[in-house]
Amino acid sequence: MKTRAGANTLSILIFAALWEVAGRALDSTLIPPLSQIAHTWVRLLMSGKLLANLALSLWTLAAGFFLAVVLGVTIGVLMGWFRHVEHFLDLYINALMSAPMTAFVPVLILWLGLGVESRIAVVFLFAFFVIVINTLTGVKQVDRIWVEMARSFGAKERDVFFKIVLPAAMPAIMAGLHLGMGRAVKGMVTAEMLLTLTGVGGMIMQYGSAFATDALFAVILTILVLAMATMRLVRAVDRRLTGWKAEVAVE
Amino acid sequence: MKAASQSRTGFWLPDDEATRLAAGKGESMIEVRRVSKSFHKTVKHQTTELKALADVSLSIRPNEFISIIGPSGCGKTTLLKMIDGLIPCDSGEILINGKRVIGPGPDRAVVFQTFALLPWRTVLGNVEFSLELRQIPKEQRAATAREYLKRVGLEDFEHHYPHELSGGMQQRAGLARALAVNPLILLMDEPFGSVDAQTRQLLQEDLLALWQREQKTVIFITHSMDEAVYLADRVVVMTPRPGRIAEILEVPLKRPRDAEAVRRDPVFVDLTNYIWARLKRAMENRS
Repeated sequence: MKTRAGANTLSILIFAALWEVAGRALDSTLIPPLSQIAHTWVRLLMSGKLLANLALSLWTLAAGFFLAVVLGVTIGVLMGWFRHVEHFLDLYINALMSAPMTAFVPVLILWLGLGVESRIAVVFLFAFFVIVINTLTGVKQVDRIWVEMARSFGAKERDVFFKIVLPAAMPAIMAGLHLGMGRAVKGMVTAEMLLTLTGVGGMIMQYGSAFATDALFAVILTILVLAMATMRLVRAVDRRLTGWKAEVAVE
Repeated sequence: MKAASQSRTGFWLPDDEATRLAAGKGESMIEVRRVSKSFHKTVKHQTTELKALADVSLSIRPNEFISIIGPSGCGKTTLLKMIDGLIPCDSGEILINGKRVIGPGPDRAVVFQTFALLPWRTVLGNVEFSLELRQIPKEQRAATAREYLKRVGLEDFEHHYPHELSGGMQQRAGLARALAVNPLILLMDEPFGSVDAQTRQLLQEDLLALWQREQKTVIFITHSMDEAVYLADRVVVMTPRPGRIAEILEVPLKRPRDAEAVRRDPVFVDLTNYIWARLKRAMENRS
């Protein structure tokens, strides 16, 4: 782990240095030096504009992702556990899994208007299907011998679900949440750029059209950091819930 | 072939009448009466019937140690699962202390071939699992689980996860989990089939010691003639397709049995040779 963190830091430093040198050498507004971007970033932060928009974005992200997790895990579990539910729904799930969600934005505008509801819906749609598919796969792959063992010791259906199926499927569910979080951030930015020009996505459109490249890069880098931070958060939760799996993998 | 021929005349598989008589005298604890079972397999719209067990009858006394031996596909695991109540009989019935088996019950516990330990629980958590399902309060659960871990020699490993243990130790945990609910009947499905030979012998010795202390009825499924004879009071020999009881053999070896001395005993050698010949004949008839 130590060498990896070291390599990461080195990589970032070299990349930043190249950017700085290139920016100064080219002396073009298209690629501002990193120091200038950092300067603008601090200015945006101090003015409160970045934080206000970030808060707005995070609220959309949290609401949409929360709904995607609750509904996605529930439907995934039902599909994985009841074959009839799976056969009834898998057509739609598979079709929508790989469909470009951006195509649904106009429909959402018509249905939900231009408010926060539409943005939450976009985040939801981006994250939902991958969570369903992973949960479904996880539940279906639960080793039958554990279920049989539990039944032999007198487990009721509820025990089988909570003590066997859910913990056994947890690594797959968390993998779905991890992928879902990445998609949710994409959905958040997409919604803010295409729907209402608010949040960090709105800032991108605003600075892009004004040729304010230093501010534009400052926001983009902020979004990258946000995406990584949220994924880290999911992974931290994952480690708490399925620490046993990590140990198995190490062995 | 003194031992085998004697038992063949004396303990030939009981017919219905003999079974009922034995039950009436209160001598029999588990009664398997004319049980049959088929499985249906559908491949490309063609359903084939696979007869797993045909007309199997068996009577087992309290605290008896029974080994069931037979080639793969003779339905011995199916029979064990039916005694546990995990799968129903197609015809016939199974009685335990006079009550018909309709599902798993607190009087029985299974030890699985693949251990079936839950990888997300520690050794202690795995033993507690069976107690949790019986609604035993938390403090008592931990105390009972620790007690049984001690009996199988795992007291220093309660906080380990299953993958951190050797196969033999994992099966000790599986045994502790089954013993913890204090069942009358221990159903063991090739429990030592996936551990190395030395570990296997140690586990056999420990199991016999436990059985002698705890007073349980044990049904032990195995592929190994040596294991079957060393452990059991009676050995049930089964033949495949459909699974039938070919013969039930008494093991007239004194207890406690010393692992090394027993294996040099002419009775032991005769019995294992006889079982091998019997199984070989059954396999040849099939092919």
